Amino acid sequence: MDLPQTSKLSPDLPAAAPLRSGPAAARKPWKPQSTRLRWVMLGPAMLVIAATVLYPLASSFVTSFRDWRLTNSPLPGPFVGFANYARAFTDTAFINSLGVSALYMLLSVSLTLIIGLGIAMLLSKPTKLNVLTRTLLIFPFAVAPVLKGYSWKFMLNPEYGVYAKMIGDVFHPLRGYIWLGHEFSALCAIAMSEVWGWAPLFALMFIGALGSIPGETTEAAKVDGATSFQIFRKITLPLLAPVIYIVALLKIISAFKMFDQVSIMTGGGPGDSTQTLYFNVFQTAFRNLDMGYASALSYLLVALMGVIATFYVRTLLKGS
Amino acid sequence: MQSTVNRPAVRGPSPLARKRLAQGAEIVATLIVIFFVMFPLVWMILAAFKTEIDVYSTRLFFQPTLDNFRAIFADPILLGSHTWVSALVSFVTVAITVPLGAAASYVLSRHRFRGRDSLFLAILISQFVPAVVVAIPFFNLFRTLGLIDTPVALIVVYLSFTLPYAIWMLRGFFDALPVEVEEAAFIDGCNELQTLRYVTLPLVMPGLLVAGVFAFISAWNEYFFALILTRSDSLTLPVAMQTITGPRGPMWQQVSAAGIVVMVPILVMSLFIRKYFVAGITVGAVK
Repeated sequence: MDLPQTSKLSPDLPAAAPLRSGPAAARKPWKPQSTRLRWVMLGPAMLVIAATVLYPLASSFVTSFRDWRLTNSPLPGPFVGFANYARAFTDTAFINSLGVSALYMLLSVSLTLIIGLGIAMLLSKPTKLNVLTRTLLIFPFAVAPVLKGYSWKFMLNPEYGVYAKMIGDVFHPLRGYIWLGHEFSALCAIAMSEVWGWAPLFALMFIGALGSIPGETTEAAKVDGATSFQIFRKITLPLLAPVIYIVALLKIISAFKMFDQVSIMTGGGPGDSTQTLYFNVFQTAFRNLDMGYASALSYLLVALMGVIATFYVRTLLKGS
Repeated sequence: MQSTVNRPAVRGPSPLARKRLAQGAEIVATLIVIFFVMFPLVWMILAAFKTEIDVYSTRLFFQPTLDNFRAIFADPILLGSHTWVSALVSFVTVAITVPLGAAASYVLSRHRFRGRDSLFLAILISQFVPAVVVAIPFFNLFRTLGLIDTPVALIVVYLSFTLPYAIWMLRGFFDALPVEVEEAAFIDGCNELQTLRYVTLPLVMPGLLVAGVFAFISAWNEYFFALILTRSDSLTLPVAMQTITGPRGPMWQQVSAAGIVVMVPILVMSLFIRKYFVAGITVGAVK
């Protein structure tokens, strides 16, 4: 009996509906609420989250206070208090990875924002070519990070890499330059493989936000004699600021999680110049098999993520 | 006022020529963007059809070959079995994520009870838990249970990120549905479960599809956990690609062929849900 009504409604429903968390339902209480049904429906998901997120969080926390090297014994060793945490502050490899990750974060976030903004400004007008190009923008992000790593490593090979060759042809001193063999350029190459994935996505987000800027505002500014750069500085950028803030936070979080391309492209080298935080903890846990210390390091990561996530969540909640 | 408007016309070329020039510059810039976005993909696709000799040159025209695809699905790489593991793990992850996520997000959207918002917030925050924290205990647990190198191990850890994400995303879809439709069904005599079955679920179908696709993509592309929790039998595609090496490092023509196997299903899927793609990444972040 309800089916005809449903089919009548469905074509024009959620397609254009905004994905917001400010519940329409919150204003009007939904009447049929069976308490039993509530827990039957919520229960399984909560159990899975408890088992796959809470359990490891708790377990890692306990392990972070123990001495547990799998090279010595398969069973957890004695509790050592804060020794694992104290060790992190004198561990040069860990401190180095903090620096690498911070530098990588700055590089990848700023490049993504600048390139993303540039693409968005260029494609903001809905001409035919622009709309077609916008569709292409989703592809790089969907590609597996591992493939991003392979593809950029391949293209930057000094002997047969097509990007390396192009750069060398334009700028002769860089001919045959070993991009992944030098500290800073290796980090830049990893950053570029990631920027390639994220910048187009950022552009799409900015284009969405640009669409909500009323045309009359820029029109009026133009009539008043403002240059395009002034319009960008004084109108577009301030209106985009909230979006820029939230996507930058998203990118910062993802930058601190960088692992895949490091593993594929450089393996942390040359030297330890591309050993990001994730890569360092991975090495400690699964190459050196030092579970206690690795757990302590991963908890330091939890703290770092917690700080950034707080900003992110707070902005989201304010928004809705 | 008048003079300000006319000024550009006075010096330099005529307004029409200026406009043409600006349009031309814009088209050139757009072509550069297309190049930047598509070239790495195109180059990889081309490499997959090159011979070993052609792949080490940067030439654009060559005699295409399917040998690389034959090679990766034959001994010793046997990419077919890894494709199967990847597909199995991804599909089972989706099959668990979508129903559980839909049920939970329905309750979180439609029911009102104490602690609901804190619970939702906790689910949101759980997405920020770093993967290494999840990996260490599960590695040790699976080691003692003998589950290392099995699809089960991967599915369990993949749920740690797909489920919170799906709940977060699907709640947005449920919230976007007007409650009035469900109330009408209720007044017509449906109980809550019937209303859900015949009214709410059909309406939220696009959301289920999008959540499913996102869960699939993140499981299919996943590398970190797969690297830690598999050895040989259950290597997923992203990890198995590392086995395609010769004496001179990766054999690029075959790596690229494997890359196509990894990439094409995902590109097709993301094209399918492209309307939701951006919103899906931030889920309500950008309005």
